[in-house]
Amino acid sequence: MQAPRSAAVAETGQLGGRGNAAAVGDSSNDTKTHFRVCRFIIETGVKLGMRSVPVATACALYHKFFQTASLEVYEPYLVAMSCIYLAGKVEEQHLRTRDIINVCHRYFHPGRDPLQLDSKFWELRDSVVQCELLILRQLNFQVSFEHPHKYLLHYLLSVRCLLNRHAWSRTPIAETAWALLKDSYHGPVCVQHRPQHLALTALYLALHTYGVQVPRGEREWWQVLCEDVTRTQIEDIMTELLQLYDMEAKCT
Amino acid sequence: MDRDLLRQSVSYHGPSLFSLLKCEQSENPDFKQVVADLSKSVNQSDKDDDSPVVEQFIARKADLLFAPSWKSTTLVEEEWQEDLREPYAIMPPLEQFMEVSYEERRELFYRDVERGDLVIGRITSIRDFGFFVNLLCTAGDFERDIEDLEITGLCPVRDVPSTGNHDDPLSYYQIGDLIRAGVKDIDRYHEKLTISLYSSSLAPNLDRIKLGVISKEDLPLHYIRGEKVGSGNSDAYERLLDSSPGFSNPANVDVLLRKLGINDTRSPSLMRGLQSKHFIEDDFATAIRKKQSASWALKCVKAGVDHFKSGRHVDAMNEYNKALEIDTNNVEALVARGALYATKGSLMKAIDDFELALESCPTHRNAKKYLCQTLVERGGQLEEEEKLVTAEGLYKRAIALDDTFQEADEALQKLQMRIQVNKKIKTKTQTYFKLQLSFSRISGRKLFLCSSFL
Repeated sequence: MQAPRSAAVAETGQLGGRGNAAAVGDSSNDTKTHFRVCRFIIETGVKLGMRSVPVATACALYHKFFQTASLEVYEPYLVAMSCIYLAGKVEEQHLRTRDIINVCHRYFHPGRDPLQLDSKFWELRDSVVQCELLILRQLNFQVSFEHPHKYLLHYLLSVRCLLNRHAWSRTPIAETAWALLKDSYHGPVCVQHRPQHLALTALYLALHTYGVQVPRGEREWWQVLCEDVTRTQIEDIMTELLQLYDMEAKCT
Repeated sequence: MDRDLLRQSVSYHGPSLFSLLKCEQSENPDFKQVVADLSKSVNQSDKDDDSPVVEQFIARKADLLFAPSWKSTTLVEEEWQEDLREPYAIMPPLEQFMEVSYEERRELFYRDVERGDLVIGRITSIRDFGFFVNLLCTAGDFERDIEDLEITGLCPVRDVPSTGNHDDPLSYYQIGDLIRAGVKDIDRYHEKLTISLYSSSLAPNLDRIKLGVISKEDLPLHYIRGEKVGSGNSDAYERLLDSSPGFSNPANVDVLLRKLGINDTRSPSLMRGLQSKHFIEDDFATAIRKKQSASWALKCVKAGVDHFKSGRHVDAMNEYNKALEIDTNNVEALVARGALYATKGSLMKAIDDFELALESCPTHRNAKKYLCQTLVERGGQLEEEEKLVTAEGLYKRAIALDDTFQEADEALQKLQMRIQVNKKIKTKTQTYFKLQLSFSRISGRKLFLCSSFL
């Protein structure tokens, strides 16, 4: 079963033309599109009250899908909506298609009244559900991911023990690391590295930002948390992560 | 902006960060307030390598990173307890894996230990003024690797609770006993620790924990796990983490978020476009759904009213019920259904619907009007059943709703007169019977004489 772009676009046509991908095959344009769509996913996640892990799954599904699929064939915003729906199921935070459609409709048509229960609504709903099956097949039904979130939280607990409790409570290490991790889902970096490495990088960057001095031993704290990573690797991931913030300026 | 945090960051990264900050945050009034202060703490950086990319990031996002509102974790001040069910992986102290040196660990311990902390150790000697304990580990949230640091604590005899009988309280204890105690006092300079077995010495979130002699099973999990970790295995932490049952718990993310005080659904981001001020409440799923449900329900109500006007009462009821399923307590649907109930004679159901409608919308004209009419009608029914007091209540409610509703007024007055009359008859009858009773105590002949007077 194929969902050729034209049909999908016709159905989501009412979703409007915000960010209708140029899809000229230009990779920098593609990167920008993917950034915008991930932003769309994360924003929608906030409005749906989704927890961080399901949002992460939705973005990961999206990135993985477009690793093998082309923007010329599939409408990215429809794929995004279906990824959100699928992620809700995978991560046990079930979302109603009605809510997803409502939020997305308003994203593309700000200020408009909510959709009526008419044929347009049912068509949209059918598209989302059909696209979900498409995504499953494209990903060979491998939709569960090991996310960096639980690693980061355990690492935070371990590092917290190392520091003086007052230094910990006045320095926003946890929230910065968590924010960095969540923001990393704007780009494919989230599916290109091991979850431990991503978690470590987020924590490393957070500590580095505030100039926190961590005690030293025979081994560095980050070498202990993840044995096979080198400082260069951490710095590379950090650079990729920080580039996403630069991307924001170019895309929005 | 948090001056101390900024100062710490700038002294760590050095003058390069400071100049970047001045460049990126030049428009920021909060930064201007601190920049003079900051320039005094700029000297050669503490760190060993340059990271221009990171410094650029810090400079650009400084208004977020150093804002007082960024520190959003909420400190969880609930009772600490060792969760033996292990909802997340409990790991030995990181110090142990890092193989931090003896001197450094000792220094850090004495720097960071505070009054009210929990410690566990073994008794090494008992004197008449108290006993000495060699610390094995810490407990509570303060986890350090101190077993080999030879840290001793003294528990003076006055901090040992008596065991009830008037024996010397110290006689209860023996060398080698495992003791759990609270840190009462610290002399950081001389590296001396005083501990106590009284719960009052503990911090408030720890004070439920039992102090005194404990057994090996009561040792904290992080210590027990730590014992099993051999030295020299560079991936020991990873392997231990992955094999812990708590690590596979699907709910561990939520538990840890709560423990660390991070709010998951509204946690902050460093992306400009995702700042909370950009989100409008009306765009959220719940708000849209509410509006949409009300709109869908209204369509059903309109269809229902059409049915009603054409006499198709069953269809009308179906539409109203459908509307209420879509949007519970939808005011229009309730009023319409109430009117239908009233028409069909189910007055109590009608009254319930109208009252519910008025709860959400106290100024709804039709709801008020219909309710008043129905109340009066029902009052009339009740009067015929001789339930006068209940009827009075209904009339009063109707007047309370709409004091211009004449019918209610008249009905109430009529009813009240009727109640008065009833009362008079009642009292007369009561007096008659009372007299009867009192006469029965007098002799029969006198009764005959008296009763002939009535």
